[in-house]
Formats: sequence, C-alpha cells, structure tokens
Amino acid sequence: MTNSSKWLIEAKNLSLRVPVITASERALMRNPLRLLADFYFSRTVRSEATLLEGISFTLQPGEQLGLIGANGAGKSTLLRVLAGIYAPSSGKLEVHGSAKGLFDISLGMHSDATGIENIYLRGFQMGLGLTAIRSLIPDVMAFSELDEDIYKPLAAYSTGMRLRLAIGVATMIKPDILLLDEWIGAGDARFNAKVKKRMMSLVKGSRGLVLATHNSVLMKSLCTHGLVLDKGRVVFYGAVDEALEHYKTMELE
Amino acid sequence: MSFIYLPYFAFLLRYRRTMLGPLWLLVGPSLFIALVGLLYAEIGATQLAVFIPHLAIGLITWTLINGFIVGSATVFQSSRSQILQGTQSLDGVVAVYVTTTILFFVHQLPIVLIVFLIYGIGLNWVALESVLGLALLVANGVWASYVFGILGARYRDLVEVFNAVMRIAFLATPIIWMPGEGMQGGVMGTFLVYNPLYHFLEIIRAPLLGQSPALISWSVAIGFTAAGSLAAWILKKRYVCLVPFWL
Repeated sequence: MTNSSKWLIEAKNLSLRVPVITASERALMRNPLRLLADFYFSRTVRSEATLLEGISFTLQPGEQLGLIGANGAGKSTLLRVLAGIYAPSSGKLEVHGSAKGLFDISLGMHSDATGIENIYLRGFQMGLGLTAIRSLIPDVMAFSELDEDIYKPLAAYSTGMRLRLAIGVATMIKPDILLLDEWIGAGDARFNAKVKKRMMSLVKGSRGLVLATHNSVLMKSLCTHGLVLDKGRVVFYGAVDEALEHYKTMELE
Repeated sequence: MSFIYLPYFAFLLRYRRTMLGPLWLLVGPSLFIALVGLLYAEIGATQLAVFIPHLAIGLITWTLINGFIVGSATVFQSSRSQILQGTQSLDGVVAVYVTTTILFFVHQLPIVLIVFLIYGIGLNWVALESVLGLALLVANGVWASYVFGILGARYRDLVEVFNAVMRIAFLATPIIWMPGEGMQGGVMGTFLVYNPLYHFLEIIRAPLLGQSPALISWSVAIGFTAAGSLAAWILKKRYVCLVPFWL
C-alpha cells in the first residue's frame, strides 16, 4: 500500500454551493432571450445556496462514520458528494476505493419487466458485468423469497414483494466504502431480521462505512465516529458517543 | 458493457405490453409510406419507383434525427433515478441513450430493404458514402445529447419547443415531397440549402439512391459536427456538475 491510500476518504474544507434558480427561470418560453442572458452573458449575479460549507474529516480503514443532524442539515447531500454524484464546489475530496451508496433503492426498477429482468437491468445500471450478475442471481432470489414470482412482471408485485426484490438487488454491490442514507428496513419482523443480517454482512464486507440515520442506538452499535452537521456545517466531529451527546444538547437548546 | 445491454432492455421493454411487441415500430412507418404512396399515385405527380424509396429512407432517417434532437432534451431527466443513485454517470447515460436510439433505427431498416426489393433498386459503390453520412449523424447525436441534455435539464420546456419545431421541420425537409433539379422545387425549394437537417438527410439518403451528396451537404454536416462538439465541450465543462441539481 502506498502512503496516500492510508485513508479511505479525506475531505478538507469541502464546500458545495449551488446557484439558485427560480421556477420561472426554468421556462424558456416565458422569455426566450433568457438563453442568451444565462449562457452568453453569464456574469449574471446569482444568489447561491450553500448546501455544505467547510467540511473536513478523514475516514480510515475499519472506521465507521455516523452523520448526525436534523432534516436538511446536509447529511444526504454529503453522502451524495462522497458517492461522486455531486461535485464539490471547493475544497479537497480524496476517495480511495469504490464508494457506493444505497439511496432510494426502490427507484429505477421497471414495472413492465419481470423480477429476473430487473435483476439484470439494475445490475447493468450498477456497473456489474453479465457473469457477475449471473453468479449473484441465486443469492438475490433466495433473499427476496419470490420463487416463481421472479418470472412475473413487477406490475403484478405487492409492495412487500417489490421491496424485497429492491433490497436484494441493491445489495448486490460490494463497495469498499459503503454509504448508507438511513438504514434499510422492511415491514414484517421476520423479514426485517433477514434484511438486518444482509446489511450487516455488507457493512462487515466493506472497509469503511458512512451512515446517516436518526436512529442513535443503531449508530452507536455500528459507528466509531460521529460527525454532527447543522445547516451544512460541521459542528462536532469525534467519537460517536460524544457526537451523539453533543447533538442531544443541541436539540435541547 | 452496460451500454450494450441496457439499450437492448429499453428496446424489449418499450413494447412489452403490446401484442406485436417491437414490430409496432415497423407497422407505423410502413403504413405511412403506403398511404402517402397511394396518395401520390392518384395525383400522379411523381413516379412511384423513384418517390417511394426516397420517402422510405427519408422517413426512417428522420426518426433517427428526430430521436437525437427531441430525445436528448430529456436524456438526463429520464435517467434521473440512476443519476441520483450514483449508479450511472452522465457519460454513461449519454452512451446508453445514443446506442438505444441507433438500435431503434437499425430495427426499422428492414422497411428500406423491403422497399428496395419491391422496386428493384440496386446499390453501387456510392452507397458506401452513406455509412460515412450515418457516422457523422451519430457523432452529432452525441454532442446533441450533451448540449440539449444540459439545456433541457435547465429549461424544462425545451422538449416542448423541440417538438413544435420538429413538426414544422418535417414538412420543410424533403421527405414527403421531392426537390427538383439543383435543390429547387416546391415552396421550400429555395430555402432548402439553409435547412441543416436536409443536408444530414442527404448525406445518408443520396448515396443509397446512387448519387453522391453535394459538397455543400458534406460541408454543413462536418461544420455542425465541429461546432456542436465544441459547444458540448464548453457546456459540459461549465455546467455538467450542476445537472444533478437541476433534475
């Protein structure tokens, strides 16, 4: 291992600012000249929304980082930055290894396609190869408990069946750094235990975890470190117990 | 590899609920060609053996051009969930989209083949130029996906504008009518040289009908490829990082 790959993630003074665009500015027909104004004379002064500001932390191999904060504090946004979906506006972000997340897992399934086709479809979308998907299919089928229904179109599935397949498919990836936006759960208790087992094996199989959740018990059991966010800024970064404690006092104020 | 398999899925799934499946893609244009052909036979304006092949290639190629232009305005929105889940990059989305559009085009090509067989039209070596023409059109499809994809994500109604414009452009381009000698003829004849879509159509259609496209057609197509690629490069550099926020 080289010296630089000591850590999995290093974020230094990371910021994310996005120009604010109003709904009417998104309609070309209201004012076609806008196209010129927006792109050609792009010196137009726009107010910027600061989604993240000055975020710094490192994630070492074997560490699990919990993101703590109220809704809208920037937890999901930060996860998406780490996943490479949003590019930071300034600051430094280095990620060693594949950082992949489970975000909105039930989206992106095709209701006209059968269960088995959806496994292939999502597998290809997630960048898996044909042989990799084939080898994972028995596992996904066993997990989702769909049996013969796997050959039926998704339109015929119940919500529970869809969710089971979605979880099975989403957990086909084995990233180095696992990014989780809320712990995934399913309706009934028996299946929930199964989901938990699968999620735990995913966490154990990864070299690092970044988890955003409101469940402090879960966070304590999974995470070593905690990062408290408030309005896109880091207000506390340290051991997970202290971070949760800090957040508690913040909430009381 | 995913950009090879995913278009195949898009193709299979689009007509999943219909009886004929992907054959629907052949029914529509075939009926259109037959009906317009019948109409013109009554009027007797043009020799059918010349007009029908002109119409068939024109219509099928137009579907590809139209797909590249109108479809690219929503290319990123339609893959919103994959982009926001981080499963597909914007480049990946464009690759899948361009390949899918080409696949639908290839699937419609048998119509042209059948028309050629019916009217006994032979191909000569000039026809190979149409492969080059197609390659140029595809290159333009790539930059269009980025340029119109980025603009379409920013301006939600761009796709409506394109739909309206392309309906008019269909009539302004010689598909259901033929220009006479020297690109003149018809009401639109005089303005034809200013219609870039006509030139793109010509570099694919003319060689198949045994004629080398005019130099102006090649020049316009190559010029558009260069200018469009430059525009795509600039827009991509400056705005691509904002696209996920616009979705």
